[in-house]
Amino acid sequence: MSHAARSTRIGEPVRRREDHRLITGAGRFSDDVTLPGQAYAVMLRSPHAHARIRAIDSRNALALPGVIAVLTGADLRSDGLKPIPYNPFTLHPADIRMSNSDGSPPFVAPCYSMAVDRARYVGEIVAVVIAQTTPIAKDAAEAVDVDYEVLPAVTRTVAAAQPDAPRLWDDASSNVCLDADVGAKDATAAAFARAAHVVKIETWIQRVTGVPMEPRAAVGEYDAATQRYTLHAGSGGAVRLKTDLAKILGVPAKNVRVLMDDVGGNFGTRGMIYPEFALVPWAARRAGRPVKWTCERHESFLSDFQGRDLAVTAELALDAQGTFLALRGSNIGNSGGHPGSFTPLQKGVEIMSSLYRMPAAHFRARSVVSNTAPTRPYRSSGRPEVMYVMERLIDLAASEFGFDRVELRRRNLLKQGELPYTNPFGMIYDSGDYHDAMEKALKLGDWAGFPARRTEARRRGRRRGIGIANYVDTATGAPRERAEITVHPDGRVDLVIGTISNGQGHETSFAQLVNEWLGVPIDNVRLITGDTDIVKVGGGTHSGRSMRMGSVVIWNSAREIIAKGTRIAARLLESDPSTLRFENGRFRVEGADRSASLFEVAAAAAQLGDLPEDLRGPLAAFSDETFNIASFPYGCHVCEVEIDPELGTLEIARYSAVDDVGRAVNPMIIHGQVHGGIAQGVGQALMEQCYYDPGTGQLLTASFMDYSMPRADNFPFFSTEITEVPCTTHPLGMRPAGEGGTTPALGVFINAVVDALADYGVRHVEMPATPERIWRAIRDARAAPPAGRAR
Amino acid sequence: MATVSLTVNGQRVSAEVEGRTLLVQLLREHLRLTGTHVGCDTSQCGCCTVHLDGKGVKSCTVLAASCEGATVTTIEGLAPEGKLHPMQEAFREHHALQCGFCTPGMIMSAVDMVRRKGNDLDEHTVREQLEGNLCRCTGYHNIVKAIQAGAAAMKRKA
Ligand code: FES
Ligand code: FES
Repeated sequence: MSHAARSTRIGEPVRRREDHRLITGAGRFSDDVTLPGQAYAVMLRSPHAHARIRAIDSRNALALPGVIAVLTGADLRSDGLKPIPYNPFTLHPADIRMSNSDGSPPFVAPCYSMAVDRARYVGEIVAVVIAQTTPIAKDAAEAVDVDYEVLPAVTRTVAAAQPDAPRLWDDASSNVCLDADVGAKDATAAAFARAAHVVKIETWIQRVTGVPMEPRAAVGEYDAATQRYTLHAGSGGAVRLKTDLAKILGVPAKNVRVLMDDVGGNFGTRGMIYPEFALVPWAARRAGRPVKWTCERHESFLSDFQGRDLAVTAELALDAQGTFLALRGSNIGNSGGHPGSFTPLQKGVEIMSSLYRMPAAHFRARSVVSNTAPTRPYRSSGRPEVMYVMERLIDLAASEFGFDRVELRRRNLLKQGELPYTNPFGMIYDSGDYHDAMEKALKLGDWAGFPARRTEARRRGRRRGIGIANYVDTATGAPRERAEITVHPDGRVDLVIGTISNGQGHETSFAQLVNEWLGVPIDNVRLITGDTDIVKVGGGTHSGRSMRMGSVVIWNSAREIIAKGTRIAARLLESDPSTLRFENGRFRVEGADRSASLFEVAAAAAQLGDLPEDLRGPLAAFSDETFNIASFPYGCHVCEVEIDPELGTLEIARYSAVDDVGRAVNPMIIHGQVHGGIAQGVGQALMEQCYYDPGTGQLLTASFMDYSMPRADNFPFFSTEITEVPCTTHPLGMRPAGEGGTTPALGVFINAVVDALADYGVRHVEMPATPERIWRAIRDARAAPPAGRAR
Repeated sequence: MATVSLTVNGQRVSAEVEGRTLLVQLLREHLRLTGTHVGCDTSQCGCCTVHLDGKGVKSCTVLAASCEGATVTTIEGLAPEGKLHPMQEAFREHHALQCGFCTPGMIMSAVDMVRRKGNDLDEHTVREQLEGNLCRCTGYHNIVKAIQAGAAAMKRKA
């Protein structure tokens, strides 16, 4: 338990204000919205991974009582709905640019909200059935007759990149949409030529899915009189959803309103607009009444954006002492059934070399389409993948060339004095104490005491292993954010901001900022985020941007409130503004016993008729900023596992994490973020996978019976520590905290697993490290001739 | 359609339900008690956990029509109006929720766990007994701590 908060200011583990409604069942999630007269939509989804749609016959469905309409891709086109405006590249200027190395433009195809000619993955929407009730709509969906011409499908990343693979778009020359070169090819080749040691890994960071516990849901409305659409749907941000929706519907942005209250998890999965979010309001217009759609869990597995799926071949060159000379390789990202996002590929490859001194690097980065659900950024988009690769390479180099794993890291880890450091891809790491984080993690995980624990485990017939992984995380995201603070004379403060909480506790941590800077009790702060009629600008929650950008625009607004308030208070207190100080919510005249509270000043602003123009009216201020610099959270995790070699089963014995956040606003919330992040990272490394049958493209893991979700008994209590080395590129010294738990977890976990199997000479275990995989690795290593063993 | 009468959170209620209507649908759609959530379609997630005649059940796995005469407690009725149950308090105190979607089911399961396993719950027991409740946000760390503390607090208040 976090200690009790001593105040509600920055740095305190303040208990969350949002919790009361959530623990009493009074939260309001998307599916809790019910509108009078609403009809219900069911999505008819393609049962084939790849099929041409020859014809759709809805007559039998429409004949069923209670069925209102069946809408198809043809209706969508004839109604003029536009493609979804996915922007495949990150928009942040600090991320590296990628383009095809041959100079041609990347292949991007329009993505409509429903299949219009072909379905390209199992679960792609083929028709929308609207009826009086969901059960009627389901029955009707079964009665829709779709004439499919089934086409050959390809699902696996490397296979999809082959020139002879079944092609998703006839007008593309292959499934490779982007084929970029990053880094310095010649310098890297030269470094490899003089290397004493070269270590190589070929691996696949498998496809997983975010699984927010709240399935998606949407209620759409259309008001014919005002020609306005309203969408109630949980998402990572209201403003972007509104803008995208307006583009798809082909209406001005002012004709669209998006509303959301509580959002049951995101992790990137809710980061971009979904086809259903456009189909539902459109259907409401067609049906002349509100339309509601609630995703069922099997549909989530089929149609939620999925994550990861990167095939990597990488080599690390070292000199005889173990100094890193260069890194090279190839990354192939799988964007699924539409080339909608190259972001994870981009955000991964640009920090391939992690926090290590790397004189040269070169990578080929490709993105392919395949007959699988589309992928998007998933918690720490692109970075866990590459951190895993780098940390595996280091452990492999250590075991193959006889270095100590920790010493090898110490030797190559950047020192504080070397920062800012430009990595070989051009990313500039601003600040931090990477060695301190690593040493702290070694201590927290009791690295020194491990041999005794290993021996003890051996006596019990178990194999115990320990792993370590450093990480860096590039936080960029949508660069623009806006906050507006209004002080009401009755003691309330409204804070309008364009990012939104999906469980991160903004109602508490943002209120702590307001308390710190304006002295207002946190319970008097009302946070407004989920109504685009009020919130006009903002990027939403992703890429560690909410507190990073939110703090600055709130700070600017608070300072502006104080500046304005000082001038008003000067009138009220009949003093010169220069003699006023703002402290603990009051403007005080220095050296005199006269003061006015912030709220008295707000009342004066509303009442005094002779104030200068800019001070009259409500006491309010806003800040609208664009953040063009990336932030680089970092840290180090240590993990210890114990394996039963007879069964291949595994238990996580200890997990220790040190994460630097620059300056912690609410440490309780940050520890919680780290816990959840670790579970998602370890979940991938240990058990999760979206498994597509390679032949048919069927998703064989489309329920909780089949998709292995981490449960309480998969984990121990975590030891987490926060460090606060101020970030030099953030005016308040903050670094993001939401993704660091996940970023090193894949690598540290597999490093621990492989270490546990050292006795058998196992070189590597692919993810997910299921009992079967571990058991086979032991068996195969035992069967291998001794010369083939690493030790 | 059949009429089913039952007591929900101390109130006698009746509703017209189809044979296929689930208890969770009765609660959410007919009675508008939306604190009970639906997180899956295979009885795995536990978001829908309520107490049926004093025992924890997944309300997505119970037919409403089979609840004639039953007594149901949902998260909304766990504590008297305006008060918190010690388990609810423990969840807040220990930061055992982030998005809060799994939370009502977690709390109802936790209270049922205390009924079955007593107030003195060790970590191992709590983790094993949470088999039927999924959370994607918290990594379970604080949920386990909260349940241990909440169970102990229930003893003190009992
Ligand atoms: S909704 Fe009942 S167990 Fe998931
Ligand atoms: S708190 Fe979000 S699923 Fe548990």
